[in-house]
Amino acid sequence: MFGRIWYFVMVPMVYLAFVWCVLGIAFKTMQVLRAPRLPRTLRIFPESKSPDDRPIGGWAAAVWDTFAMPTLWRFNPTLWFFLVVFHIGIVILIISHLDLLPQVNIVSASSPHMIGNGTVGAAVTVALLYLLFRRFRGTVREVSVLSDYLLLFLLLCTVVSGDIISWGNSWSDEGFVMTKQDLGKYLESLITFSFTDPRKFLSGSHYPVIGFHVLCANLFLMVLPFSKLVHTCFALPMNKLRRG
Amino acid sequence: MEQNEKSSLLKLMSDQLSRSVRMYLDNCARCGACVEACHAYASTGEARYTAVGRAQNIRRLYENYHTITGKAAPWLSEAVELDELWMDKVYETAFTCTGCRRCMVFCPFGIDTQQIQTIAKSLLIGADLEPKPLTVRAKDSIAKGVNSEATRAKFAKQMDQLRQEVVERWTAEAGKDVIPLDVQGANVLYVSMAEAHSILPAARIMNAAGESWSLSYYEAVNFGAFVGNRSMTEQICQRIIHEAETLKVKEMAICECGTAFRVMKHVMGPFDFNVITLVQLLERYIKQGRIKLDKSKVRGRITYHDPCQIARNGGVYEAPRTCLRAVTDDFVELQPNRCLNWCCGGGGGLVIAAEPEFRMKTSKIKAEQLKASGADIVATACEMCYAQLNELVDEYELDMKVEFVSNLVAQALVD
Repeated sequence: MFGRIWYFVMVPMVYLAFVWCVLGIAFKTMQVLRAPRLPRTLRIFPESKSPDDRPIGGWAAAVWDTFAMPTLWRFNPTLWFFLVVFHIGIVILIISHLDLLPQVNIVSASSPHMIGNGTVGAAVTVALLYLLFRRFRGTVREVSVLSDYLLLFLLLCTVVSGDIISWGNSWSDEGFVMTKQDLGKYLESLITFSFTDPRKFLSGSHYPVIGFHVLCANLFLMVLPFSKLVHTCFALPMNKLRRG
Repeated sequence: MEQNEKSSLLKLMSDQLSRSVRMYLDNCARCGACVEACHAYASTGEARYTAVGRAQNIRRLYENYHTITGKAAPWLSEAVELDELWMDKVYETAFTCTGCRRCMVFCPFGIDTQQIQTIAKSLLIGADLEPKPLTVRAKDSIAKGVNSEATRAKFAKQMDQLRQEVVERWTAEAGKDVIPLDVQGANVLYVSMAEAHSILPAARIMNAAGESWSLSYYEAVNFGAFVGNRSMTEQICQRIIHEAETLKVKEMAICECGTAFRVMKHVMGPFDFNVITLVQLLERYIKQGRIKLDKSKVRGRITYHDPCQIARNGGVYEAPRTCLRAVTDDFVELQPNRCLNWCCGGGGGLVIAAEPEFRMKTSKIKAEQLKASGADIVATACEMCYAQLNELVDEYELDMKVEFVSNLVAQALVD
């Protein structure tokens, strides 16, 4: 019974989550694109306009605003710091997961470590803890809703279970019974649509930890298009509106 | 709330869901970066006066009626039903916010609270709950445009009286048409407020600069924009646009009224003619040497309050400063200034729509900012700011005077 559940989580649900996420983002994008466009500018002017009245900045400024969050740096550097750690960390973690594939060799395939030797996951965990606990205080608490806490908790579960897997491999001579190479085989079986039971590659009693990690990641993908996490897709266009 | 009324209000809400509004409602992370941006929050510490707090009143409705998660699990996003009680929250969103858009500077996504506010205003109009003084003024304004001939005749008569006043005050103007009307092919159509203080200094300066100008028959202020009624906003603008097109003017200069300028330039425009605010015209005269100013005529330290709709939302920062530096050597900046200047607390029609007690309470931070400048005169380029700042000066017993930039320039003019 549990074997079937874990198989569902580790294989079919991964595909379902990806398809759900892509379709959800497409749906959200269509919803936005089908809405009427305002015939006027929504820009603000962070500085004087150029002499010929053309907008300063445009896309370049919007990209800068989106990825560097300069106003946050200026007015709330602590929040800025943890947000930057979180977002950069997530990008590195995505690359690290791709690096598990035998075809990708950012870190040597023979190394038991992922990129950063577990520090990236630890940094993201700390950032998430900050983002979660600040929601229990002051004005941010007053404007938060239940989903804000649950989303952060889901992310925390995903990252902490990943930390356990990573640290298990990094901190002992033998590592987990399941090695980085084993995880690579599992990932490869997913991208080749072999529908092989992951148990074939991932032996040992820590299997449910991997299963929980994958379950959390699946849920994350599934809620992304239908929660505020969709800002992953719309932060840039919104900043473009601000910059004109 | 009856089902029919509710349905029609929800239809109004749906009609306001533009591309940008959908993004703004879906994507807010409630990170709280905007919290410190609002003058009302900074003055009171109340979360309901934050940009995100106000937006949540509308977002929670949106979640309930327009999102899958809101319909399936409303408790997740605290989605709510539209009812009479919630309309109080909607009112709070619409008319405790001046639409200054300072929060937009702070938001990492650039969410425009003013756009979310348009939903609130439209719901209030639909429920006949909008502040009536604004609607009455908007309707009066539109009526003037409908009965155009009578309006023009009455206005021309009023101008005859003002012309005498100009000549009495500035003798050098004698013998000239000091307030010209209906000038075909004029360089500038000046759109003023109905009151003399908006016409006389501008007329004096434009005449001194030898400008070819014509005064508009219609007042610039757009109460339709304050109410949040798109149709009224357009009607009020259209008669002025028609006048400019009929006279074939090269430029339309809007008097010192922030909303009138922004609506005409950035909401209704662009047109075949250029739209500028009066202070930009004055800056041009100074830079081109078309007017001479005597710095000894204006006494005291001057500071400048950037009106939100002209500065942050209009991009005009340096023109008023050029004007003020031309009338004094003792100019001091407010801190913060330009894009980050604190709103006066009276914009968005709140000077008319909101209780003075509320406006004074929520603008404490503005009063502190003014006091810290040590200035004797705070100049501004917006009618609403002027009214609100005057009340603030009285309420907080600030030892300073509020002046329009144009009036200071007119005072400093060398005959």
